[in-house]
Amino acid sequence: MPRSAFLDLARPSRRHWLGYLLLAPAVLLIALIIVYPLFVSVDLSFQNVNIARLDQPRRPFTTANYERLFASEDFWNACWVTFKLVTIVSFFCFLLGLGTALLVNNRFKGQALARLLVALPWAIPEVIAVVIFAWLFDSSFGLMNWLFIKVGLVDQTINWFSSPDAAFAVVCTVMVWKGYPFVSIMMLAGLQSIPEDFYNAAKVDGARAWQRLIHITIPSLMPVIGVTLVLVMLWVFRDFSIIYVLTGGGPLKATQSLSIMTYEQAFGFFKMGYASAIGVITLIVCVIASRLMIARAPDNI
Amino acid sequence: MTRTRLAFSAAALALAAGFLPGAAWAQGKVLKFVSWQKDERGVGDWWGSVIKEFEASHPGVKIEWTKVERGAYADTMTTLFAGGKPPDIVHLASFEFQKFADNGWLEPLDSYIKDAKLDLKGWAGQDTCSWNKQTVCTMMLYFGYIFAYNEELLKKEGLAVPKTYAEFLAAAQKLTKDLNGDGITDQFGTGHETKGGGGQYMSEMMNYTLDAGGRWTNDAGKVTINTPEMIEGLSRWKTIVKSSLTPRDLAAGEVRQMFADGKIAMKTDGPWLYPIIQKGKAKDQIKLGMVPFKPPVGGSSNVLGIAADAPKENKKLVWDFIALATSDKFQSSYATLGASPPPSPRADTSAATKDTPHFDLLVQATKAAADAKVDRIPKGLELQFNEFAKMVMEESQRMIIQDLDPKAVAATMQAKAEALQKQ
Repeated sequence: MPRSAFLDLARPSRRHWLGYLLLAPAVLLIALIIVYPLFVSVDLSFQNVNIARLDQPRRPFTTANYERLFASEDFWNACWVTFKLVTIVSFFCFLLGLGTALLVNNRFKGQALARLLVALPWAIPEVIAVVIFAWLFDSSFGLMNWLFIKVGLVDQTINWFSSPDAAFAVVCTVMVWKGYPFVSIMMLAGLQSIPEDFYNAAKVDGARAWQRLIHITIPSLMPVIGVTLVLVMLWVFRDFSIIYVLTGGGPLKATQSLSIMTYEQAFGFFKMGYASAIGVITLIVCVIASRLMIARAPDNI
Repeated sequence: MTRTRLAFSAAALALAAGFLPGAAWAQGKVLKFVSWQKDERGVGDWWGSVIKEFEASHPGVKIEWTKVERGAYADTMTTLFAGGKPPDIVHLASFEFQKFADNGWLEPLDSYIKDAKLDLKGWAGQDTCSWNKQTVCTMMLYFGYIFAYNEELLKKEGLAVPKTYAEFLAAAQKLTKDLNGDGITDQFGTGHETKGGGGQYMSEMMNYTLDAGGRWTNDAGKVTINTPEMIEGLSRWKTIVKSSLTPRDLAAGEVRQMFADGKIAMKTDGPWLYPIIQKGKAKDQIKLGMVPFKPPVGGSSNVLGIAADAPKENKKLVWDFIALATSDKFQSSYATLGASPPPSPRADTSAATKDTPHFDLLVQATKAAADAKVDRIPKGLELQFNEFAKMVMEESQRMIIQDLDPKAVAATMQAKAEALQKQ
């Protein structure tokens, strides 16, 4: 009798046990997939290890990787490149995403097709998109050079991937092209949840389109904007394939972000302890940046 | 009686329980083999023939052959080894095996070689496989660069086939043209990879640095970049790239395709260029010869070894596989199927000479590179090769983009290479 009472999850005093039991598989899985690798990575960052093996004895504790990292010009350059990418790409993704969302939120003929076209870049696999852009911006036979010369913008071909500024601009362009549809879809969902009455009331009060955008649309969208910006920022932070396929981080490290640097140190130079230190710092920066962005609008998000 | 029968039955069952798994294990033995060359025309077929013969001569043993793209190869192999699940048959590029050997992940082969009485004397590039005074691999290819040129384009400009760097430069300048006057160059004098990995970038540069008499390091492994010869070599590379005598920002494969299609007039490359030419639009216009540089770029390509972590019985089987691949029979068929000179000095290449018209040229180029002891991996920088190659590529790009003096660039490279050696 006492045993069955112990297992009786329907009893009010035991009811929360059922919740924990149901959550346990998910928690265990998350711990295995996310927490354990994270722990290993942090542990490796405090060891002087080149190629890591889990079955090898742990190397002595050292902060050498972090000391070397903070003294490295390449690391600070990667931080600066990442910061520039996050700022520029997030900004233009937001502008284009909001703009297209406002556009396709209106009722007009061909609205469904327009919505499809806006979302199309999001559906195209990243690597395929990057290969297409690599050919568009090819220095010798690319469409962009041909177009620029025909239009008269330049009188000789631009070596897109041999110039640090041009290469950075190309990377930003591809990232914005790939990233804005997500913002657009999120904004569109947000726009459709704003009650029509707000706009009708504003119209009655004589508010013009710009005023309605500033005083109704943007404030109503703030929760969506906050979450979307954090997600976009994190995507730019960790995105690897666009930069790797387009420029490999070059030329002259002009497009070497923290994720590219981590990969290069781990799998190019086989310095996994050092690479883990970069990964840990990237994680900390991401957590702080996300927290700051969310904390700035606690009531809205 | 019944008891005796029962005892026999029990004994039989016990025996079956003890032996059946062993028999099943022997029948189902699988050796893992990961390679980037699986679908490569020629050499991929050769690997396939070695596997077929191995499986025929080892009943019950299968080779699980998996392709991993070259671009992801180092990552994949590192992950497999680090995770304690390496492939039994280890196939690596000759510029990356050192890290694996240095970690103790490659089985020393000296005892196997001695037991099998495998004669590796005169085996091209085999010295590279020595790590910490132990043989950890067998070299599967050592090559020398050949010169391919579009005869029709050269004739159109009244140019003879260049024999020196000066003639090559003059020809490249004359052959680089905007054919339709739209402001975009349509035809290039030569073609080099200027985008991608540091290793290939370095190989492209070496056409010019070797001809100028420069070497990255000397025989003792001391860095020798800040020398008049290397400065001259860097200066030549700068001239070729900055004057856009080569298309910019293309990967090696794209450059080869452009050459095969007649958009590039002259190209120096390894034996693998020929099959690409054969599929190109300009295949009838392209001729082959010795490179106009001395010595030609050359070097070791890929190696075969045994994973130190593999079970003992697998190691023996892997060695059988290596012994088969390095046998006279398969070294001879390597020449025919792979259309490349095999590393073995005992290989019969007469069939290959009949099948591949330029086979003697490949042998001559390989010998010229081997005699000059040319290798893409500088002595003394084997472990740091990837970092070194990346540094060389970046400093060279800086020289071209910022129009720096090659003398200053050589000094910077020297200092950075020495710092890498000290790491």
